[in-house]
Amino acid sequence: MDLEYTPEQNAFRAEVRAWMEAHVPKTPLKTLEGREGYDQHVEWERELASGNWGMVTWPEAYGGRGLDLIRWLIFEEEYYRAGAPLRANQNGIFLLGPTIMEYGTDEQKARFLTPMAKGEVIWAQAWSEPNAGSDMAAIRSRAVRDGDHYVISGQKTWSSRAAFADWCFGIFRTDSESKRHKGLSFILLPLDSPGVTIRPIRQLHGETGFAEIFFDEVRVPVENRIAGEGEGWNVAMATAGFERGLMLRSPARFQAAAKRLVALYKEHAATASPAAHEAVLQAWMDAEAYALNTYSVAATVIAGGHIGAEASLNKIFWSELDRAAHRAAMSLLGATAELRTLPDGAANIWQEGYIFSLSGPIYAGSNEIQRNIIAERLLGLPR
Amino acid sequence: MDFRFTEDQLNLREAIRDYLTGEHTPEVLRRLDVEGGRDAAIWDGLIGMGIGGLLVPEAEGGLGMGLIEAAIVAVELGRANVSEPIADTALVATPLLGSDQRAAIAAGALKVALAHPINPWIADLDSADMVLAGEAALPAPEDPAPVDTVDPLRRLFAPIECAADDRLLDRAALIAAAQLIGGAERMLELATDYAKTREQFGQPIGSFQAIKHHLATVAVKLEFARPVLWRAAYAAQQRAARTPIHISHAKVAATDAAMLAAETAIQVHGAMGYTYEVDLHFWMKRAWALAGAWGDRAWHQRRIEAAVIGGGMAIGPETTFASELNHG
Ligand SMILES: Cc1cc2nc3c(=O)[nH]c(=O)nc-3n(C[C@H](O)[C@H](O)[C@H](O)COP(=O)(O)OP(=O)(O)OC[C@H]3O[C@@H](n4cnc5c(N)ncnc54)[C@H](O)[C@@H]3O)c2cc1C
Repeated sequence: MDLEYTPEQNAFRAEVRAWMEAHVPKTPLKTLEGREGYDQHVEWERELASGNWGMVTWPEAYGGRGLDLIRWLIFEEEYYRAGAPLRANQNGIFLLGPTIMEYGTDEQKARFLTPMAKGEVIWAQAWSEPNAGSDMAAIRSRAVRDGDHYVISGQKTWSSRAAFADWCFGIFRTDSESKRHKGLSFILLPLDSPGVTIRPIRQLHGETGFAEIFFDEVRVPVENRIAGEGEGWNVAMATAGFERGLMLRSPARFQAAAKRLVALYKEHAATASPAAHEAVLQAWMDAEAYALNTYSVAATVIAGGHIGAEASLNKIFWSELDRAAHRAAMSLLGATAELRTLPDGAANIWQEGYIFSLSGPIYAGSNEIQRNIIAERLLGLPR
Repeated sequence: MDFRFTEDQLNLREAIRDYLTGEHTPEVLRRLDVEGGRDAAIWDGLIGMGIGGLLVPEAEGGLGMGLIEAAIVAVELGRANVSEPIADTALVATPLLGSDQRAAIAAGALKVALAHPINPWIADLDSADMVLAGEAALPAPEDPAPVDTVDPLRRLFAPIECAADDRLLDRAALIAAAQLIGGAERMLELATDYAKTREQFGQPIGSFQAIKHHLATVAVKLEFARPVLWRAAYAAQQRAARTPIHISHAKVAATDAAMLAAETAIQVHGAMGYTYEVDLHFWMKRAWALAGAWGDRAWHQRRIEAAVIGGGMAIGPETTFASELNHG
């Protein structure tokens, strides 16, 4: 066990810090869930790319820097330390990117990864359907083969960022006779394809964070399929592993939130409830624990290890810690918690954060589903 | 930066686990409970494996290992619910004593009890050859007055007045946290095994989702307590500036994991869990005992609070392993 950074890692940190200090927007961007804010966030993706920071762990050939996971963690720490904006392209860089890296052909890697790292193409995930949420194997949207194309029909829903994004990666039934996990394929397509209709859905906070996608005989070339026909379920499970596992929610995000929460507590200490006091300390401890665990998992992965169902432990921990931390903040704010804009004119980021934290235990596979996975695959309990 | 154990550390863990799994079985626990004694065979066995000299420098005939290895051993002692005073003597007291005493501990010829005003009792004073009290090493008193404890295999005695030695407290809290983690792991295993075999409504109770979710929640709690323990052990080993905070965090996290594991395990066992017949109670009661020993949750949380909220301790994403904090 060696918990010291090397001089090279420290130098890397200094490099990231200097760049972030010079480039992170001084005033917060508008919300990613609205048109104006989305455009600002995409612009920020391109700014990041100009510094070659799109996705530091990817090979240089695909717009990355070829760095290991420890450097990625350092990058994230500096990213959140600097208060940099959310990543408009998180679906691309954290979910689809690693999937293509593992299952894509060289041609697909060259075609999709570089524009993703450069923020030129923003991706949405099109998996859930009205009747296929937790039970994703109930997917009904079809992709029917017609020569060198698929013809896609059906409906997806809850697709984050789909209202504004450029492309989506979906799972469709390519074998109309098939049931459940079999006969599904993983297919990428532009959201401006003829036959695609997008209907934004207003979220809890009132903005259009996700959307329904309707497909009416949309033609997509066969070469947009990742891995073999009928192998979509396995590919999707790998993607879901990335989603719940190491990358989607880096610890720095929660450590930064815990730091702000401690500052908020200090402002409100006189009126804070004992429960909120307790929760603030717990938030700091849990964010630390999450960071430590992530470094531990990263070391295992660097040494050639694999994360399997362990990703489910992770997903539960970060989503529940995030909700508890924001709940504490709402409690500290007392009567001002309900205000969307605080008396000093600033947006009530704690309320926004609390609202968003309520979705954490639902998306990326609900926490009930994660508990099933832990019990069955890690503890070996019968199905 | 590499948050993994070395091969040697993994081998150490495996050796101790194999030994205790074979020799310190639940049957031994039940026998000791009836006989009310300590088990010389286990003491000798652990000494024979070198645990007495784990922290004794190689030049003095010990293994010359550090606090990470000590915590690894302590987790295994907790898993097996070992009650011999080996943790207090070999994993806590050794580095605070002189070289003659260290050599005697390595040889298994000296048992040390630990006195500190934070505890309203002293453990294993009857079998101790000496007491570490404040900065002083005193001879153990004759006929110490016993204190009644719920843990059937723990032996407690009335306290000795002494000054508070922070080094002793921190090390003992770290080792207690490690034992709590080991105990929590074992309780999760006991409950999981029971859930696989006990049948109701014609199926194993472990197939019921409510049971699954209870156990999964324990697994999450444990998963995120373990690295906190290892970071604390590492910091203590390096004498890092933040060691006391990291140890307090480890004690809190380990306590929470063990208490949750205990309550969950009893629930999963049903009425069986409420009996003296099922082995679970040994671990549960040890968890209660260690939760309060060497600073309870509130005490350690106050220490964290004083740094994180009250003091000027730097926090935030870039501070986790900041090098100036890793060196005291
Ligand atoms: C903010 C947000 C963003 C999202 N973004 C995307 C996206 O970009 N792309 C996409 O494809 N999807 C997205 N989703 C959808 C998300 O993946 C689903 O909401 C999720 O899989 C749950 O499905 P559901 O909403 O249909 O709930 P349901 O499956 O109907 O579940 C309802 C409740 O029942 C519980 N439940 C269901 N089955 C079981 C079971 N077997 N055991 C125990 N409990 C069970 C669930 O845990 C939940 O509490 C997003 C969701 C949210 C909230």
